[in-house]
Amino acid sequence: MTATAERQIELTLPMVADIEIAAARTAGNLARELGMESESIDEMAHAIIEACINAREHSGSADKRIYVRFVGTSAGEGNPRIDVWISDRGRGFNVDEARSRRSKLGAVHKRGWGLQIIEAHMDEVDISTAPDGGTTLHMVKYGKKS
Amino acid sequence: MTDELRVSVERRGDSGAIVYTKGYINNVGGEEIANRAYELMDQGVRTLLLNLRETKIVNSIGISILIEIIEKMMDKGGRIAFCCLTPVIHKTFQIMGLANYASIFTAEEDAVKELTF
Repeated sequence: MTATAERQIELTLPMVADIEIAAARTAGNLARELGMESESIDEMAHAIIEACINAREHSGSADKRIYVRFVGTSAGEGNPRIDVWISDRGRGFNVDEARSRRSKLGAVHKRGWGLQIIEAHMDEVDISTAPDGGTTLHMVKYGKKS
Repeated sequence: MTDELRVSVERRGDSGAIVYTKGYINNVGGEEIANRAYELMDQGVRTLLLNLRETKIVNSIGISILIEIIEKMMDKGGRIAFCCLTPVIHKTFQIMGLANYASIFTAEEDAVKELTF
């Protein structure tokens, strides 16, 4: 039988400049404890940064808080994984519209790349969002490249 | 909260320069790089290498500002290149299309050999 260890961390962060770094550093510390590869940690950190920036810049939430939860799982010699939830209590957004944005040189929209970066850097991404019902991104990162 | 971005410049001849960054390239860091880059362009620099060896994190706002720098340099007929990117920053540049408009080199020596300063 293989022992499974689980670590959970919850943060409530104010929507202030550079707060995304606090979330990314916390996830990085947890990931190192679990033995994740450094490139996987860096990818996860960049995704977390973009998710927090999206919440801060676009959610319009009245409480101006970002709710972050990490669950790290390590199953013996198996591949460690971290589940990340990043939530806000804001206005929600249109996922299809956000996914369809494409930035190019000379284009009006140089911004709005966060979701593409998140989906490229994480292994699984699930978005729950509703008008005025807030947004939660659930993201999963595995510790070793498959 | 974060290490403030530090930028230093090494001039290469009359029309070239290498910009070194250290720290997080966010909106503030991106603007700092842009200010230095535009000063250099005003001084006649048309080949600019950005060495990011001491930058481990960028965000999409910072990269959007780097894209604006590339656009301005292209308008002036110049060239911008990057070197010493972490694998994740390199991947992020590719996602945002920046790699289509600027050369990316593994090492500074490779960039210096290729670019005409």
